[in-house]
Amino acid sequence: MTARDAILSRLGGTMTPSAIADEAAALLVAPERPPVAMTALEETFAERLALPSVAASYDRIADWSEVPEAVRRYCAANGLPVVLCLPPDPRLTALDWDGVTLHDGAAPDEDAALAIARCGVAETGSLVFETSPEAPMLPNFLALHHLVIVPTLVAHLEDAILPGAQPRAHYWVTGVSGTTDIEGTYVRGAHGPRFLHVIRLATPLKR
Amino acid sequence: MSGGFAERVDAALADPILKLAVERTAGTAEAKRTLAIDAFADFEAARDRAAAIKDHVIANLGGYLERFEANAVAAGAVVHWARTSQEACDIVIGLCKAAGAKSVARSKSMLGEEIGLPHALAEAGITRVETDLAEHIIQLSGERPSHIIWPAMHKTREQVSVLFKANHRDPHTEETIAAMAESARRHLREGMLAADVGICGANFLIADTGAVCTVTNEGNAELSLVPPRMQIVTAGIEKIVPSMGHAVHMLRMLARSATGAPLTQYTTFYTGPKRPGDRDGPEEMHIVLVDNGRTAMREDGLAEMLRCIRCGACMNHCVVFRQIGGHAYGGTYPGPMGAVLTPAIDGLAANRDLPNACTLNGKCQEVCPVRIPLPTLLRGWREKSWREGLEPKATRAGIGLWAWAARRPRLYRTATATALTALRLLGRTGWLSNVPLAGGWTRHRDLPKPAAESFMAQYKKGQRQ
Ligand code: SF4
Repeated sequence: MTARDAILSRLGGTMTPSAIADEAAALLVAPERPPVAMTALEETFAERLALPSVAASYDRIADWSEVPEAVRRYCAANGLPVVLCLPPDPRLTALDWDGVTLHDGAAPDEDAALAIARCGVAETGSLVFETSPEAPMLPNFLALHHLVIVPTLVAHLEDAILPGAQPRAHYWVTGVSGTTDIEGTYVRGAHGPRFLHVIRLATPLKR
Repeated sequence: MSGGFAERVDAALADPILKLAVERTAGTAEAKRTLAIDAFADFEAARDRAAAIKDHVIANLGGYLERFEANAVAAGAVVHWARTSQEACDIVIGLCKAAGAKSVARSKSMLGEEIGLPHALAEAGITRVETDLAEHIIQLSGERPSHIIWPAMHKTREQVSVLFKANHRDPHTEETIAAMAESARRHLREGMLAADVGICGANFLIADTGAVCTVTNEGNAELSLVPPRMQIVTAGIEKIVPSMGHAVHMLRMLARSATGAPLTQYTTFYTGPKRPGDRDGPEEMHIVLVDNGRTAMREDGLAEMLRCIRCGACMNHCVVFRQIGGHAYGGTYPGPMGAVLTPAIDGLAANRDLPNACTLNGKCQEVCPVRIPLPTLLRGWREKSWREGLEPKATRAGIGLWAWAARRPRLYRTATATALTALRLLGRTGWLSNVPLAGGWTRHRDLPKPAAESFMAQYKKGQRQ
């Protein structure tokens, strides 16, 4: 008998598949979760970003064309060279990046990387990403400064779930790379980003 | 640490630095959890739901595993099955060798520790880069984890500093924790980016998508798993949840119970290997589903233990763990959950002391996000140990009396009330410095004075209100 058969032979249940599906669905009805008022999505999201466990800085723009200026603003405020790792996303590559040095492969000691989140989650202040040819994953973990454009907000984590076939990776970023592994003391920038900067784009662009 | 349980406890109790180090981290974790749960209005109902989700999965585990396998395979992953830790290690080492791997980056996984993967990799001559900061520290010191969330909680900053200076290429020059973390960042980044294989565990396996979920504060899982050309996941078969919606509920419970955050910083769901056109990600993804005693636990009255989501709350709140730390337990898993799991995984005969390292104060059960009745399961092990004649004669006589009295509730209550009164008389300042027959404990530590009434008495009062 294979290991697979040996294990599965001991794990039989008594319920029919449809009864299992019904029970699984019932377990998701009205989940307990922090309440988020739909009328206060923006405020709640901004509040969560300010939590010590998230500690993201926050900027607001009205249009995609303002993205390069928001990046320059951030670099200037933080004394960074205006050098940026940019994903090959047409929404970004189409912009006027005058005065910003761009590259699209992250260096091992990358200073700053920009990315577009699919959405932000007001419940937790999480930023939701999926991988695709236009959205590599590694730069978002290598860079010291993680800059993220957030075009839309949802209330709860459940609202961020992608139905159907999943991308290679789907990930939620809720703060920076931190550790409390030495004497329980919190240190930012353990392996990945030490700084998270959210650029809230209030008017989503149609692709 | 070697020797029997009693020797390990003695050594731990005599170590003043250990107590301080454990107290610092566990104390902080306890405080943060309390804040997080006070801010979550329906936490008690959420615990019921979390327990029900896990019970539902455990009852239908076979079907869910098959569904997970089918979906993972459809996404391009290869699924392997292992009955034992040996089978699991053989599969992982075989994959590494087939890939010609010289080095692997490993993202902290308790299952990896449980199956002895670090040892197996060393034997195969494969360089292991532990990427979680705490795992890196204990790799350098040649120790085992002492906590499931903070594996190096027993180490002080001074000890870490010495280790880093002796091992890092470009170590810190300033004696601060931030500078030490920075030193590790420089040192580990190279190893992560150069690894041939990335190995991780799974916090959850999502049945209806075939995705594997990892959760880290450091982002080390992603840095370990995205660059190498092969990703290997080793996961216990109980890690299944039906869907992403169920995973969300469990993630809310896990983060709050472990670190007090609303959600852990990096939560990633991996579904199969790199897709056409993707710029990063592994060419191959392998998932090893490991039993190692879990089907037997399900059959032998320990199904509730399979609810465990490895949050560490039970040990942070355990008076015994806070005194002796994790190493004294001798197994992969310390604290109350370890005292239940270790005999199931490594056998009762060698671990019959563990279920006794418990005051049955019930604190672990009170904080467990999936309501595992840890004291009851521990009592089950005590009884089994007694039935199988593993207890020494003196203990057998004592437990025999206890069992006889416990089956006669009124007599039992009278007897415990008497004992409580006696203990209270001995306690002057709230801590007992000398208790007859408990010298092994009170030689180094004071026992907390018992509550004025037994739990049963308090419970009954509460019920009447
Ligand atoms: S037994 Fe409960 S409290 Fe302990 S680690 Fe497991 S889930 Fe957490």
